[in-house]
Amino acid sequence: MIWHIVTRELLDHLTSLRFALTTFIFVALMVTNAVVHLQTHPERVRKYSEKVNASQTELKSRTELYALLQKGPGKLYKRPSSLAFIADGGEALLTDESVSGGFWRLYDLSYIWSLGVPRLNMEAISNLRPTATAIDWVFIITYLLSFIPLLFTFDALSGERERGTLRLCLANSISRSILLMGKFFGSLITVLIAFYCAVLLNLAIISTESWTQLSGADWGRLGLIVLIASCYAGIFVAIGLIISAMTRESRLSLVLLLLIWVTVVVFMPSTLGTLSTRWMPPIQTHHQFQRAKGAAIDQIRSDFLNKREVLREHRQSAETSQKEVAGVDTSELEIQRELVSKDMEIRERLSRQHLAAQSAQVLHARRITRCSPAAIVQYALESMAGTGFNRHLQFLEHCRLHIRQFRNFIVEMDRADSESLHFVGVRRGMSEKSVSPEAIPVFEDKLTFQDTLNPAIMDILLLVLLLGGVLSGAFLVFLRSEV
Amino acid sequence: MLQTLIHQELLGHLMSARFFAAVIITLLLVVANTFVLIGAHEERLADYNQKEAVNREAVDATPTYSILKLKVQRPPNPLSLFSAGLETRFGSDLDIAFDSVPVLSNPIVDVRPEEEQWAFGSVPSLSSPGAPLGINNPYLHLFSQIDLIFVFQVVLSLIALLFAYDAIAGDWETGTLRLVLSHPIGRGSVLFAKYIAAMVCLLLPVLMSLLLTLIQCSFARSVQFGGDDFLRIGGIVLTTIVYLSVFYLIGLLVSTITRRAATSLMLCMFLWVILVIVYPNWSRFALNPEGDIRAEKRSAEQQIAQIREKADRERHRFLANSPLKGEPPIFSESEAFPGLFSGSGYFFLGDFPRVNLELKDTAHPLVPHLHRYYEFAAPLQIRNAEEVGFVGQRLVTQTTLRQARWDERLMKLSPASLYTFATAAWAGTDLASMADYIQTAQAYRRTLIDTFHERDAFASQQWFAPNQGDIDWSILPRFHFERAEVGINAQRALPELFLLLCTNIVLFMATFLIFIKVEV
Repeated sequence: MIWHIVTRELLDHLTSLRFALTTFIFVALMVTNAVVHLQTHPERVRKYSEKVNASQTELKSRTELYALLQKGPGKLYKRPSSLAFIADGGEALLTDESVSGGFWRLYDLSYIWSLGVPRLNMEAISNLRPTATAIDWVFIITYLLSFIPLLFTFDALSGERERGTLRLCLANSISRSILLMGKFFGSLITVLIAFYCAVLLNLAIISTESWTQLSGADWGRLGLIVLIASCYAGIFVAIGLIISAMTRESRLSLVLLLLIWVTVVVFMPSTLGTLSTRWMPPIQTHHQFQRAKGAAIDQIRSDFLNKREVLREHRQSAETSQKEVAGVDTSELEIQRELVSKDMEIRERLSRQHLAAQSAQVLHARRITRCSPAAIVQYALESMAGTGFNRHLQFLEHCRLHIRQFRNFIVEMDRADSESLHFVGVRRGMSEKSVSPEAIPVFEDKLTFQDTLNPAIMDILLLVLLLGGVLSGAFLVFLRSEV
Repeated sequence: MLQTLIHQELLGHLMSARFFAAVIITLLLVVANTFVLIGAHEERLADYNQKEAVNREAVDATPTYSILKLKVQRPPNPLSLFSAGLETRFGSDLDIAFDSVPVLSNPIVDVRPEEEQWAFGSVPSLSSPGAPLGINNPYLHLFSQIDLIFVFQVVLSLIALLFAYDAIAGDWETGTLRLVLSHPIGRGSVLFAKYIAAMVCLLLPVLMSLLLTLIQCSFARSVQFGGDDFLRIGGIVLTTIVYLSVFYLIGLLVSTITRRAATSLMLCMFLWVILVIVYPNWSRFALNPEGDIRAEKRSAEQQIAQIREKADRERHRFLANSPLKGEPPIFSESEAFPGLFSGSGYFFLGDFPRVNLELKDTAHPLVPHLHRYYEFAAPLQIRNAEEVGFVGQRLVTQTTLRQARWDERLMKLSPASLYTFATAAWAGTDLASMADYIQTAQAYRRTLIDTFHERDAFASQQWFAPNQGDIDWSILPRFHFERAEVGINAQRALPELFLLLCTNIVLFMATFLIFIKVEV
């Protein structure tokens, strides 16, 4: 019976004007998306590989251990995602490179490389061009795959009630739940047919180019993304059915649905995000952060100078008592090493804390905006596509891991040299043997399927729960409504 | 008869549940967004005040004329509440130096090799606005900002279409249209009555939200509107009415063309999605009419390099005849060099040294030559900067500005974008207002140079040495950026307003002509 209703609904919808308009708009946007992606993505990939090559050749040209430590692993770059056309994720704002900390010299000592606060590419925002959202899959899905289901369902029940066909239908031996399911699947499948056509066209255009090698994992991710989108469309079909079952008039039902749509999809993701940050404790401004860092660094420097003074006095008294100088020399190296490594640690710790405070604010705001299914889908799609804020944090974490590995490598190399004094961070105290360029650890930004799935699982779960919730809501409302 | 019609239509709209729901949602959205926007404005204002204080302190602590680095800021505009435009995104602080010309943006930066970019940050002799005000956490830019105009643009245009879609088609279906026209009344009057009634109903939520916003603003001490601002708000309301009327007429036209309310509704909804949500984003995303502008940038960079070389040659020629030998500012190859300065404090910005070197002996025979050198070099540097500024400005109009204008032009094919740009012009947050700010800053720089000339700063010892004690900085002119007058705002909003009006007239005429021929 249910399939009978579904096929009837389907035939009804597929021959309607709204289906034609839906297909047109989906196809137009998806084709635009694919074409623009084909125009911009190769350039992005080329730049990335150029930059990575340059940074690696520079790294390999250093053979001295101290130079390696001081100049660090060079710039580390974020690999552009091959699924960037799915979610833009504000990638223009989030820079694709790691930033090094401060540079200084004190007597014959100098800084060693540390990971700084990631700069943001403010050019992406503060330019003169009018703002606009990128037409990526996220835009198409969050806006249209929610708007169009409402247009298919607003009169599904209220319209039939107005015409009296609902009463007629229920006079047959059809249970209300079967009728509702029929309506639900009929509308959902219609919308998805148009959407899938557009998606296929989009992917077909993108895979015509030889450089777009979507791997198996990429196809897996794409499959999941399409599932998420279908689930999201289902939510709005169900919402449409709820309101349609509640109202007597389909005009009222439409107005209510559109107002709900505007609030939930257009306004909530941004307004709630900004609103939630107003009740959060303020974070350090850039100015305060710089000042705190300066104070901490001044502190360790003055400690160093004091110790050095003490050592000088000690040495003068030692010279008078004719002791060996070598022992005193290592203790000078020791305080130098302490200064250099402490300086590096403090810089890294403070930058990490500053970033943590900033990202905590963003993550909190994102949690609050998850009231809106549009935001949930956006975040899920960003994670799946390997762009956006979560991906940025992952990239920074990869950088941090790599730097630890890089430093361990230097310590190991230094330890292997018996002539070295093992004061890592001071030129005189380190091994002078040259390092073979092949042995230096190389950073490669990788994005595994796990990496993309883990942050998205929560969102997917939320969506599925929401779908269950609104669907059962629709049942309840329809069961209680008079026909 | 016309009155009866209007009266009846009005009651029909006002008593309907859909109107009630629409008003409630609009007001809720307006109140919530005003709350957020006032908060953001307060944050910007606090940031502005703090930066002003920091800048003043920095100026007072400046020991010599040459290292003076003034920073000016654009005060936050309270009308950005209504239309954020460029106000919240475009940079605010601007470096003012005797040898750097303020420009809207610094387009040369992105053609430089990466290493050099790091070293300079920007092209010396051109200064462009830095970060926008009030962003403690720039990551929050990932959430898009919404202004009140956006609420009207999205919600009320939707409501306007919902009022209109069944105005004719619905009456035709139910047969009331035939009934109404059986009375001695012209078809034009029927259309007109419907139009007037709907516009009154649409005006209500606009005025109510305006009232609520103003009440909320009066509670917030930071947002203060002057008398002129109310005229500007009036202009914004006027534009809103014209904009909503466009959407109502689009709905009416569709409604007269189609025979069934359901068809009319679908067409209206898809038109709305395309005009309001899709097209403005699509045109900016898919169309790039300017194409690659790197060639212009490179040639400008070469010109700037030539100007610099020329200035360098002149400086060398001057130094060849001077007893000062070696590179400025230490002239380390001069005779008796070590006796000249104690301490070393100088840095280069571009190719001109900012000097703060204490003289060991002010009566040293080389000191008058130092005076003479700077008296020659500083005005040369100003001329040089002005030439570079000329090239830079031409480049900005050729690249950045032209690109922005093209984007705007293409977006303006949608009435929703016309409305955005018109209101931005009223509020003074549009491109032209940002250009005003840059012009004010340029004028301020000229007064600064005049002040330097008046005090003979270039030839004085305080130009490079702090020996004569602190400089009295109270003589510096104060920077004051006044937003453009209402008349100018109106002029800037006029083209868009005119286009919106024309669209109105065309749509009304079309609807009227079709309606006259329609069979009832």
